[in-house]
Amino acid sequence: MARGRSGTLPAAAAGLRAWARRHAFSLLSSLGSLARYPLASLMTISVVAFALALPLALQVALQNIERLAQQWERLDSLSVFLVPDQSESEVNRLVSRLSNWPEVLAVDPISPQQGLEELSLQLDLGTIDALDDHPLPWVLELIPSSQGERPGLVQRLQKEPAVASVVIDLQWLERLDAMTALLGQLTWLLAILLALGVAVIIGNTIRLDVQNRHEEIEVMALVGATPAFVRRPFLYSGAWFGLLGGLLAWMVVIAGLLALDEPVQRLGQTYGEPFMLLGPSAGQVGLLLVGSALFGLLGAWLVVAQHLRRMDP
Amino acid sequence: MISFQQVGKRYRGGIEALQEVSFELARGELAFLTGRSGAGKSTLLKLIALLERPSRGQVLFDGRNVGKLARRQIPYLRRQIGVIFQDHRLLSDKRVFDNVALPLMIAGVPFGDIRRRVRAALDKVGLLDREQAYPPMLSGGEQQRVGIARAIIARPPLLLADEPTGNLDPALSAELMETFLHLNQAGATVLIASHDLALIKRLRRRVLVLDQGRIIDDLPDRSTADQGGEGSQHG
Repeated sequence: MARGRSGTLPAAAAGLRAWARRHAFSLLSSLGSLARYPLASLMTISVVAFALALPLALQVALQNIERLAQQWERLDSLSVFLVPDQSESEVNRLVSRLSNWPEVLAVDPISPQQGLEELSLQLDLGTIDALDDHPLPWVLELIPSSQGERPGLVQRLQKEPAVASVVIDLQWLERLDAMTALLGQLTWLLAILLALGVAVIIGNTIRLDVQNRHEEIEVMALVGATPAFVRRPFLYSGAWFGLLGGLLAWMVVIAGLLALDEPVQRLGQTYGEPFMLLGPSAGQVGLLLVGSALFGLLGAWLVVAQHLRRMDP
Repeated sequence: MISFQQVGKRYRGGIEALQEVSFELARGELAFLTGRSGAGKSTLLKLIALLERPSRGQVLFDGRNVGKLARRQIPYLRRQIGVIFQDHRLLSDKRVFDNVALPLMIAGVPFGDIRRRVRAALDKVGLLDREQAYPPMLSGGEQQRVGIARAIIARPPLLLADEPTGNLDPALSAELMETFLHLNQAGATVLIASHDLALIKRLRRRVLVLDQGRIIDDLPDRSTADQGGEGSQHG
């Protein structure tokens, strides 16, 4: 290749064309070797696809959970503790008044008696006589509607004379956030491990191919093929395996999303809130395809370089 | 073009394949290399194409010591040399066309030119109608001729042939030798290892005789006297 460039400009152009033709030959040759053993190729591509589908599916799941969590944050109920010794009729009047606020979707009153039962159930105490002197207050479980701002609602509630305090239970959401962040990190770790696995799988397939084509490699070297020329079809094959595996992984994840779409919609309806599953972004798909092709190339390169050195054609 | 200077080749295990071999082959020359099997003919050819490296002495190709050639230069040396192997070395899972086209693919020749030149080369060896066949479907002689077509397709300045007529009947052998003479007349330097003594004698070209790894005789070209006649026959 260096020879073509060393001449005059037309010679350089001719050299470049010859270079392009050699690459075209290698490209066709690599596709030919993929097609020659369709079953073996398909198996390698499938293994690569499953290995890649796992981290991709995890990441897509996490993205959807994060999005869902944002919706839940809005949908999360508020616990409104009333001042003690409210009569049932007073409470009912308050409930019907709050229900008319536009930022309130639903109000569910919990009587002190109900509260006590729930508490004793949770604490497993049986009957709680000791609490008789300290009766529980009425509590309103309030679900905000999707319109309106939460802080405004909380302030408005606190201005009510009958309201003692408003408690927003966001702790579990914070925990969820922390957990998804952790899982996100884990996904990346998994992705790196599996990408290395992909390089190994593809490298092994290419290794078998090199062994099968031992004779061809020798003959090519005998008639003056450079090591780069001998290596190139195998490198292309590695990249193809990676790229096709990546494509299949993408299709697997999309198929999974389609299968989950209906149950998720039903789940969303129970929250009164439509929820659409989002697929991987264009950036993610691009990263997946480029990354898988590169790791395929890497696997092929490691194996081929080592084998050709040992063969010394 | 080729110069051997005190060349020795010892294989692992201590077998001395060649000892103190010295000779020159001028550009445009055609010579035979003969001797019993095991005399070192194949080894000598392999040293030129760098399929083996000499243990002692120097092999010069166009004044360059091929034994000292850097690894990455070897492919470019081999492109200057067309080698016809005794065992053909064809790719059995590739069609005749692709086998013959291989040196041109490696050189990056345009596909249209490849098609034209492969046809021309196959025509020259009389196998134009077999271009779509696979080598195992061909007879030994046909495979040998495919190997020749592959060796000559890139028009290398040097042709090395290891027993090219080994599998052929006398008529085909004579025809093949004609081909070599044509190529030689077109400017190629040709070195043919053969033990077909009758054929060699008839052609009266230079003959190098190997015995137990040594050159024991170097018979000069005696075709000059009637070369004009031969030239008109073949030209």
